[in-house]
This record gives sequence, structure tokens and C-alpha cells, in this order.
Amino acid sequence: MSELRFEALNHVELVNVDATFSAGMHVVLGSERDGTGTLIALAAGMLDPARGRVLLDGIAPCSDARSRGRIASLFATETLLPAPDVARSLALSLRARGDARSALSILDNAGLTRFAKQRVSPLTAREARAIALCVALSQTEPALLALHEPLSVTDILQEEFVLRTLSERGAAGAIVLCTASRLQDATRLGGNTSALERGSWLGPGQARPPLSNITLRVHTTEPRRLAARLSEAPDISGVEWAGGQELLVHGRELDSLAHSVVANARAEAIRITALKQDAPPLEALAAARAGLAQAYYERARGERPQQ
Amino acid sequence: MNDVRLGLSLARERLRGTTAPLVLLLSCATLFAIGVLERQTDAASAPDDALGGAAYGIALPLLAYLVSERVCSSERLQRSADSLARYGTDRRAAMLGLLLASASCTAVVGVLLSVATLLGAHGLHSKALGADLRTCVGIGLIAGAVYALYFGAASLLGKRGGGRKWALIIDFVLGAGSSALAAPWPRGHVRNLLGGEPVLALSQASAWLALALIGVACVISSLLKTPE
Repeated sequence: MSELRFEALNHVELVNVDATFSAGMHVVLGSERDGTGTLIALAAGMLDPARGRVLLDGIAPCSDARSRGRIASLFATETLLPAPDVARSLALSLRARGDARSALSILDNAGLTRFAKQRVSPLTAREARAIALCVALSQTEPALLALHEPLSVTDILQEEFVLRTLSERGAAGAIVLCTASRLQDATRLGGNTSALERGSWLGPGQARPPLSNITLRVHTTEPRRLAARLSEAPDISGVEWAGGQELLVHGRELDSLAHSVVANARAEAIRITALKQDAPPLEALAAARAGLAQAYYERARGERPQQ
Repeated sequence: MNDVRLGLSLARERLRGTTAPLVLLLSCATLFAIGVLERQTDAASAPDDALGGAAYGIALPLLAYLVSERVCSSERLQRSADSLARYGTDRRAAMLGLLLASASCTAVVGVLLSVATLLGAHGLHSKALGADLRTCVGIGLIAGAVYALYFGAASLLGKRGGGRKWALIIDFVLGAGSSALAAPWPRGHVRNLLGGEPVLALSQASAWLALALIGVACVISSLLKTPE
């Protein structure tokens, strides 16, 4: 059984990514800006990581041709091999892979025969990606399929064909590592979901913590009296006073917390000169965003019709 | 060996098209015209002046640079075979194929440029034409191949193989002299073979050897710097 491992991986957007994948479908939620494109290129052995390691069955594919030969890949930007037409470009790709099948049979199997005689240079970026995906899916016994947004070209390549082939490869023992920027795509791909948030890896367990603590900074001329009053209010979880004119008031929901502070101050006729929300740390924001994404994902997954 | 052949196929596809033959044809026509003009000025020195100046001094390095740029797909040499490497091809072997294709293509270019220049400088009925052609075919072959390998190795440097440009400039500037500074670049040795001022007072036999050494050093550095 194959295993793909990222060890303390740092490269361009990616920050200290540690993750292990075994056979089956794995989806990484996130956009290219979050580093999904880089992750796929690293997994496929096309980039040498600045720091850390990428290992497929203990070998770095970046410096091992045989290991790369066991990987089928689809990158964010694809350029087909130069040739007068698509069929001959694919023929060269198949030759490089040591695949004796004809380019026409590969295209025909994916329903892309119409591209065979087309010139390579006028192809759109999406068409080039669809053809590259067709080549990747045609690899017979890959150890790893590293695919960037495979469902983004389903207007050219049939979605049913893509999903069925990925499922077959996963069942046959291959690691299927896909990225998806849309929750719907992640839902349709299924499997284990993790996320990349601005280069930080969020495994399934980490993608949950909500933004649960709100802090208000309250400036008042009578902080002692207001602190005493607020400390008894039921919807306020804590009050901090360091001795100046500012109080830090903690609670769970912004609206009810602000309402409570104002109501209590008014009841005691205490003047509030300023009231503002304390900015949460970036990590908490990132975790909250991922948690939200996870919640949407799970809801969408629950709504998926049974097949 | 199969991976080297794949590199050769990739290079062939990258060079395919009408632009390369057109540029070569225009260069040959220009050199022929320069040869004719030189002959009208001074028939005795016309072949040497046209070959040493326009053909081997300007046209061959420039064309070798363009061929290298095209074969490497405007990338670093190490990355130029990545489109094959993703399918499990050994980068080094494929890169060697690219270098071989580039070297043989530029060697042929060197020969054609020499022939066009000599035809213009001598005229068709000149008795010296045959002897000069025989000599220049050898010089064209080695000069073309070495320039291609030189630009290939220079493509190891720079974000997108920008070392090529620097190699062209350095060859023009430092290679023009005859001191030790000119020794590592092809220009001075090619000039020596054409009967011009030698680098470090080397003999013509040594110039052949020096060019061969530059070529071998370029291949070795390219292989060492390219991962599998």
C-alpha cells in the first residue's frame, strides 16, 4: 500500500505542512492562493521543496525518475508537449510514460476524440487541462494521482467519467490527492477532507474551532463601577480592568455583549466614551474560516443524493 | 538511452516551424551579401574578414543563442525537460538529448553560414573556394556545437535561464581579447582557427583542443547541475 508524506514542508505559500496520505480519496480544500497548486506540484515531484521533504513510499519523487513514473498529475497550468497536433503531443507523452497504447484510444476513452487533429497552440487553458487530465486518468497503475481542481474542467471532460475513474484508482490502492476551491467539488469528490488556509495546513480535526470569544474594549470615566455592574450580568463571561479608563469585557456574541454593556451602563448612569471590538488573533480567524468552510462542506455532503 | 531519444524528439518539436529555417535563410543571404561586398573592397582578404567578422563573430553566436533559447523553451536548462520528467523520464538523460539536438543543429548552422559567406567572398569560380570550404566545414561544425553547449550550460543560471544572455555578452566582450581572460570562451579560439589572433599565443591545434575542452566542461557541468 502506497503512502505519501509531507514532512515539515515549506515552499512559497506553504508553511510547515505535515501530512500523511494512504490509499483512497483525499481532498484538500483551498484556492491556489492558499498553496494548493504548489502542493500538487510538490507531490508530483516537479518542485524541490525549499525546506522539508515530500516522500512517496519513502522516496523523494523530485529526484527519482522511477518514482515520478508512478505519479499521474494535473497542474494548475498545463502546457501540452509541443507537436503539430494534440494526438502527436499525447503520443510523445505516452512514449515518455512507456505506455504502448495509441493517443487516439486514450482520447476516445475519455470522449475527447474531437481534439485529436487540433493544433496544440490554439488550445485554451481549460482545454489543455482537460487533455492533461485525460492523460493522467489513463495511467493504468499509478501509486499517486495528484490532481489540481480535477472537476473544474467537467464542461469538457465528463464528470461521471472523472469521478468513476478516480474511484476505481482509489479502490485499486492508489492515493488520490485532489484539490478543490469549491465546496461542491469537494463534496462530489468525497473522501477525507482537509484544508489549506494561506499556506497553513488544517487537517480534519483542526478545521473546526469556532470564533467563540468576543472581547470589547470599553472606555468609561467610571471603570470601577461599571466593572462591578458588568461582572454580575449573565451574558458577560468576564471583565478585566487594569487600572486605567479601559475595561476588557468578554462574551460569546457581539450583538448581545454590546447591548448588555450599554444597557448596564445606562442603568447606572455611567458615561461610555468609546466602545470597540478587540481584534481577534489571526490564527483564530483562520480557524474560524476553516470551521465555517467545514460546516458548509458537511451540510452540502449531507444534501448529496445517494447513488 | 530511450530518455535521451525523448529529449531529442522534444528538441525537434520545439525547433519545428517556419521561423528557424527563415532566420537561417536570411542570415545566409546576409552573409553572402557581406561576402560579395568584402570581395569588391579587397578580394584577397574578403574570406577572412567576412568569416571572422560577420559569420563567426556575430551570426553564429547569435543563432546559437536563439537555438538554445528555443530548445530550452526559454527556461533554465535543469527545468527544460520537466514536461517529459513528469512522466518518469530521467531529467539528465532528456537534457542530454536536448543538448545533443541543439549542438548538432547549431553545427549544421555553422557549416551553412560558412558556405554562404565563402560563396560570396570567393565567387563560384575561385580556385581557393574548395580548399577554404573544406577547412571551414570542420571549424563550423566544432564552433557551432561548442557554442550550443556553452549557451546550454549558461542556461543553468538565472531564474529563466537568463545566464544565456550574460554568456553572449561575456563572449563578445572578453572573448574579443587574446589574454587569459579570453581563454574560457569560444570566441577567441574560433578566431584562432580562422587564422586570427590566437588566445595566449596558442597554436591552432591547441585551439581545437581548447574548444573541445570548453564543450566537454559545459556538458559535465550541465549533467552535474541537473537532478534526475
